[in-house]
Amino acid sequence: MNKKPNKMGEMPELLTVSPSPHIKTSDSTRSVMIDVLIALLPAYIWGVFMFGIRALVVGVISVAACVIFEALVQKLLKRPVTVSDCSAAVTGLLLAMNVTAAVPLWMPVVGAFFAIVVVKQLFGGIGKNIVNPALAARVFLFSWASEMTTYVAPGNRISSLAVTLGDADVVAGATPLASLGGGTLPEATLGDMFIGNIGGCIGEVSSLLLLLGGVYLLVRRVITWHIPVAYLGTVAVLTYLFPQVTNSLSFMLYELMAGGLIIAAVFMATDYATSPLTPIGRIIYGVGCGVITVLIRYFGGYAEGASFAVLIMNLLVWYLDILGMPKRFGAVKKKKQKKADA
Amino acid sequence: MAYTFRGGIHVDEHKYTSDCPVETLPEPPVVKISMNQNIGATCIPAVSKGDRVLVGQLIGNVPEGALGCPVHSSVSGTVIAIEDQRVSSGAVESVIVIQNDEKNEVADTVVPYTGSIRDLTPEDITERVRLAGIAGMGGAAFPTYAKINSARGKAEYLIVNCAECEPFITADHRLLLEHPEDVVRGVKILMRAVGAPQAYIAVEDNKLNAVKRLRELCGKDGIISVKVMKTKYPQGDERQLIFALTGRELPAGKLPADAGCVIFNAHTCASVYTAIATGMPSVRRIITLSGDCVATPKNLSVPVGTPASCLISYCGGLTKDPEKIISGGPMMGQAQWDTAMPVKKSTSSILILSADYSKKPSTPAVCIRCGRCIKNCPMHLMPAYIAQFVQLDDMKNAEKYGAMSCVECGSCSYNCPGKVEIVQYIRVAKNYIRTEAARMKQAEADAKKADANK
Repeated sequence: MNKKPNKMGEMPELLTVSPSPHIKTSDSTRSVMIDVLIALLPAYIWGVFMFGIRALVVGVISVAACVIFEALVQKLLKRPVTVSDCSAAVTGLLLAMNVTAAVPLWMPVVGAFFAIVVVKQLFGGIGKNIVNPALAARVFLFSWASEMTTYVAPGNRISSLAVTLGDADVVAGATPLASLGGGTLPEATLGDMFIGNIGGCIGEVSSLLLLLGGVYLLVRRVITWHIPVAYLGTVAVLTYLFPQVTNSLSFMLYELMAGGLIIAAVFMATDYATSPLTPIGRIIYGVGCGVITVLIRYFGGYAEGASFAVLIMNLLVWYLDILGMPKRFGAVKKKKQKKADA
Repeated sequence: MAYTFRGGIHVDEHKYTSDCPVETLPEPPVVKISMNQNIGATCIPAVSKGDRVLVGQLIGNVPEGALGCPVHSSVSGTVIAIEDQRVSSGAVESVIVIQNDEKNEVADTVVPYTGSIRDLTPEDITERVRLAGIAGMGGAAFPTYAKINSARGKAEYLIVNCAECEPFITADHRLLLEHPEDVVRGVKILMRAVGAPQAYIAVEDNKLNAVKRLRELCGKDGIISVKVMKTKYPQGDERQLIFALTGRELPAGKLPADAGCVIFNAHTCASVYTAIATGMPSVRRIITLSGDCVATPKNLSVPVGTPASCLISYCGGLTKDPEKIISGGPMMGQAQWDTAMPVKKSTSSILILSADYSKKPSTPAVCIRCGRCIKNCPMHLMPAYIAQFVQLDDMKNAEKYGAMSCVECGSCSYNCPGKVEIVQYIRVAKNYIRTEAARMKQAEADAKKADANK
């Protein structure tokens, strides 16, 4: 023990006198956001592997744009700059994973501006935004519908410079989701769908790796099971009961793995700021997302329903939390109370 | 299966002193005994400057008819001052300063009771407990005699709270290991005083060696049974304890007696036994001095009124720069201004912590709506929402969302990744709601008065 003891009375001039608790968890907003990034990475890296270096470039631009816009707008609004909490980086990565690798490189910048400046900071910053920034930006980017829906064929790795795509590079025919919308099962096998050997957005193709990320978040207690299970469960039940092709089981599995459903259920719908806090609220929210997704997929103009479903449910979060308010410890049910009073 | 409740958190235990036998602190040169050792009225000094006092001598009287416990001298010596001083709660209280002559002369009012406990009526026991100045030694410091009276005839279960769920503190653990017989005898006396047919001794499962010793003493008749609780904070909260053991939910604003229970801290039980068997009032206690700044953390038996600085120097002084000195546990204790603060009957620990523990965030505290506080709240409230209402100055909604049910355990603030001081916001709401209610009551009374005068 080589500790050099202070002489008694050598207390600091001023001690901190603050209210309890005096110890805190080492978890922070930053550590939570880094966990989300870690969970997203496998699926994103798979996207880069499938669609080429350009997917990486889109991701870097998107993340950098989100971080820079956050710092700029916070400077401008004279708020403390909080990019070190990594929440802007999460938004950036999610945004990149929700566009195709073939988008023009200015699009992630525009998306980042919409996500960070309009949806997040103008509503008060982290925790205060009403809708999910990455999803809102994605829907905003659908203003350029053809760019957003030019999906790269799986394994056609495009270089960072290729801006125009030849026919060979683009998904032959339609994405699995589009064929499902047309009432036929896709050409891709269920195995391809599960691993992610299909066309689509950069980060949404590999169901396996997205689910793996979800498991990581569950283990790290970043999210709870309520929303993903309620969401995916609802979609599973509805597509199984009301299939649009004869084989309802494979139709259900294709529907679950096609498009952005899994990334939406695991990463988008569970976004803290825009999802309910209570377990019951979370289940209702997940079911709502599932129902709207299926309705849009069956009857809507767009093939993809998950983004819109989550955005719509985002707006109901406040009411869902009131609905899901837990029963207070020791509270007596009103009827019982009346009886006791009588 | 260990008994438990829904909600709560797992905190790093930091129980560094579990294996340190209780050492008796050398006589402190000076003790400062507050006239306000418990919930209730402040005592009136019964001695004056220059008087010689003996160990166990009455030095503070409870005002006539008020709730409160008398105060006794913990050393023999001379009263050198009666002055106002800041004490551990942060309040300024009247304090009797006694210069210790280190002779340890015991007052002749300290008379052991040699008869059988069966010859004492419950009222006799309660009166002896009152005269001995015993108040809850777990931290809340509610006068024990008043608790006995509130529960007499109503309590089916007497629960001994040995959960010690706060990190760092091991005072009760050591007491249970070293003097379990005192605790069990105290329990028997209190059962007689309260009229409870059955007692549970509730110990968290991080103290299984103490459980073993207690089980040997309690026998197999089932009148006193030792229950193993899951190690979880706040297991020692009386509502959670009652729920875990009996399945009864005690609503906010009700007393344990309403659920057929009465709860005493382990150290309180031991003090009751000591007071009746030896006649010595509540003048000493076991206290844990710990924290990462202390050279050698220890469990110490100290006279009430010992200044914290005496304990710190006995434990080898400090090895790091402290950020905070805490009286009580790290979850619910109070941060101190200095080390002059004297030990009270209810001080279970003094912690000296460096800045490593406060985990100050690099970005401003903000709720990211993760929902952890709701998951952890042992009272099943929505702390994040209450805190947000308080930030918006919307006290009506804060009350509607159950601010008054909060037990201030701090689980929400501890686990908040956004580092929001949630429980402090709720305290603000509670304070406001209480003040407002008192104001309304006053206004009503004034209006009635005005009507009557018309």
